[in-house]
Amino acid sequence: MQEVVVLGVGLHRFGKTGDGVVGEKSVTELCRHAVDRALKDAGVSWKQIQAVAAASSRFSGGKGWGLNGNDVVEDLGCTGIPVYNLSAGCAAGGNAFNIGYSLVAGGIHDLVLVVGGEVMPKGMIQTSGVEDANDPEFLRQRCVGMPGPSFWATLARRRMFDYGTTEEQMAKVTVKARKCSESNPYARFQKAVSLDEVLASPYVSNPLRLFEICPVSNGAAAAVICSKAMARRFTSQPITVASSAVATIRFDDALPRSLANPVPSGASFHTEAKAAVMKAFEMSSIGPRDISFTELQDNTCYYELAFPEEWGLCEPGEAERLLEAGETAPTGRMPINPSGGFVSFGEATTAMGVFQIAELTWQLRGQSGGRQVPGAKVGLAQTNGLGGNATAAILKR
Amino acid sequence: MSQQREPAVAGLFSEEDGVRLHGAKCTTCNTPYFPKAAHCRNPDCDESKIEPCSFGGGGVLWSYSVADFPPPAPHKYDKPFVPYVIGVVDMDNGLRLVGQMADGLEAMRIGARVELAIESIYHEAGKAFTSWKFKLL
Ligand SMILES: [Zn+2]
Repeated sequence: MQEVVVLGVGLHRFGKTGDGVVGEKSVTELCRHAVDRALKDAGVSWKQIQAVAAASSRFSGGKGWGLNGNDVVEDLGCTGIPVYNLSAGCAAGGNAFNIGYSLVAGGIHDLVLVVGGEVMPKGMIQTSGVEDANDPEFLRQRCVGMPGPSFWATLARRRMFDYGTTEEQMAKVTVKARKCSESNPYARFQKAVSLDEVLASPYVSNPLRLFEICPVSNGAAAAVICSKAMARRFTSQPITVASSAVATIRFDDALPRSLANPVPSGASFHTEAKAAVMKAFEMSSIGPRDISFTELQDNTCYYELAFPEEWGLCEPGEAERLLEAGETAPTGRMPINPSGGFVSFGEATTAMGVFQIAELTWQLRGQSGGRQVPGAKVGLAQTNGLGGNATAAILKR
Repeated sequence: MSQQREPAVAGLFSEEDGVRLHGAKCTTCNTPYFPKAAHCRNPDCDESKIEPCSFGGGGVLWSYSVADFPPPAPHKYDKPFVPYVIGVVDMDNGLRLVGQMADGLEAMRIGARVELAIESIYHEAGKAFTSWKFKLL
């Protein structure tokens, strides 16, 4: 195995169709911007890239087949290189990073571009794209009608029952996240919100409110990765990929993803996310208490409370106390989502796994300005996607 | 006036002989399935032996949420949209099952006993389309 490093990263600021940030830009334009930035940051020219690992989108570009990597190559200039288009719902960006990492680690290619971008349709994400009685997602939506936010709200309600979490505490996660976003020039929202404002926002799915759930956004992210041996030609301070892992859901997961599951014998929440993160710890010999900060998939603020406990970053039932003591802020003991997270960016679904790599890289280089985690040495990133997909990556300096 | 009732998806459940949801069960490992599974999906099961298995009855509310806004297609609902509670119930037959709650949010309590019922969820072409719901006992 070759050691893999991140050489350069780039983002297009996130926004909403028609606004002053992304306007009417196509997904190809957004990706172009992010890739140009990443190449420049890496000091690499497009012609030097040996392969592309791209997140497949269901919503934009890709010729309707998720061929988003091919769109990028055509736009930048066809050099004949291999393109891998990876589909894993909202975990696709993380998946693309894992494949890029694996190609370099396995010695197949030395210099790989990882990219993900989205132009999202308005409103709640339609989880089932087919009218087919054999599709469990179709059955769940037709017979029950359980949109994504209700899935998260069910988990949040259960946490309120198990640990006594209050709606105010969940709102405080958003307050913390939006405070971070003030110093992130790439976030869609860059304004702090007060606890009262969060609590005054309407329920999307009780007990979760509008400001506690990430909207959909347009945006793009790119990363240039290469072998450590090759990196010496470009930089003296590469960021090392300590591990990258992918996992899928277990049979005994706590929450049915279609209509029904066997009742599990114990607590088995988010089995895909936990498996990916545990694998990333194991591969890197880095433990949860070695992590300087975490970028996790906060489709809703609930995850900022649940995930750190499930991964051993803190004790079960301790997350609310750490949040209220300021320990999950960038300057705290267990910083979570110093970028501002999905709640501040909105979700450009397939870009998110790569967006996290960009934030980890900036943090580890000490380039994160007002949201900088002081002395950040090791960062953890995690994504989740439809189909029971999850990814994790650990970067270190 | 009696309106024609029709299941929102054919074959999943019936109400002629009381509420019955049509699932399956693996007789080797006792894993219940709904909807029917063609074979056992339990990775720890030695030999898949699937038999049809219908169930009704009730269970205990494990958690719940509210659809405060109309879900996107392919969900169908009567307009104007009325928010409803979605329950996740640990059924007595060993299934953790998702379904709409017949009762409102104020009445919800995790751990409450519920019972299955078949009720209409939307109307179209002069028919009432039905699904299973949970009723608090
Ligand atoms: Zn079995």
